[in-house]
Amino acid sequence: MNSDTYAIIPVYNEASAVGDVIKTVKKTYKNVVCVDDGSRDNSSQAISSSGAILLRHSINLGAGAATQTGIDYALMDPKAKYFITIDADGQHDIKDAQQMLEYLIKNNLDIVLGSRFLGTAQNISTIKRLFLKLAAMFSEGTSGVVLSDPHVGLRVFNRRFAESLKLTMPGFAHASELIHRIGENNFKYAELPISVTYSDYSKAKGQSMMNAVNITVDLFHHRISKK
Amino acid sequence: MIAIQVILVIGFIFLFWRFLANPGSHQVHAWIKILTFLFTVLAIIAVIFPDTANRLAHAVGVKTGANLLLYALTLAFIFVVINIYTRGKEDERRRVVLVRKVALLEAQLLEKNK
Repeated sequence: MNSDTYAIIPVYNEASAVGDVIKTVKKTYKNVVCVDDGSRDNSSQAISSSGAILLRHSINLGAGAATQTGIDYALMDPKAKYFITIDADGQHDIKDAQQMLEYLIKNNLDIVLGSRFLGTAQNISTIKRLFLKLAAMFSEGTSGVVLSDPHVGLRVFNRRFAESLKLTMPGFAHASELIHRIGENNFKYAELPISVTYSDYSKAKGQSMMNAVNITVDLFHHRISKK
Repeated sequence: MIAIQVILVIGFIFLFWRFLANPGSHQVHAWIKILTFLFTVLAIIAVIFPDTANRLAHAVGVKTGANLLLYALTLAFIFVVINIYTRGKEDERRRVVLVRKVALLEAQLLEKNK
């Protein structure tokens, strides 16, 4: 059952949501890798009791680092061909991921990203919509890759992309870094509409707008630093 | 005011690029030592001969020695802040590598013992 595909879920304080997410994903994909990014709640227990592979960061490093750790683990399996990243809060629909994967294989692409703007996003606030639009413009300007929704958590990619990824920015700036990688290596990419459901829970936890400032400064520093 | 303006602007740009672009390099460490030494010497001179600051200020077009000190201090402060920032980033990078390694090793160990 899809043993060449790995679903990677970065988890941070999602004990109440992650169990159900894993259960749903496991129905379709055998290999589910969860990276508990130093959660202070019972996320680790929730993950191990649900039967997913558990990787634990002893301290919180951020979504980018957690995603990369999951990818590193999946890459150790030489049979791993396809990779899916999905958020732990249950906002994504695994059926979308399946469609994205089929699309990737059919069109021989390197990466397919979900887009909340091409699809039907429920409960998304105007201010968040505006913020994400601005993020899209910023990422287009810096990487040359045209995407309607660069900060999406649902992505599907092949091994070639996974191997080249090597995310170095631990926090949320990793989304921009990932897109930069597409531009750098001329990977074949596409965007497919996905539906997202923002529960009150995930809204409360979502990226704060002020974090955009942090991301911008971090990216700037990253670009000019030689390492 | 032209002389001091040129010195300050060049100083800002130099520090900004130099230290942000090469965090933790030997050159940066050497510069930190040189600058610390220079600042110490200047501070001692300024204490013993309070008038030198004023004279130096006039030479570069600044009104008083106190202003000149403030400018120098601002530069030094920016330098320190940038250094702390880049060092923090470098530490973060190392921490990430380490924590990730531990996580992967732990998972492999668990799998072996299954």
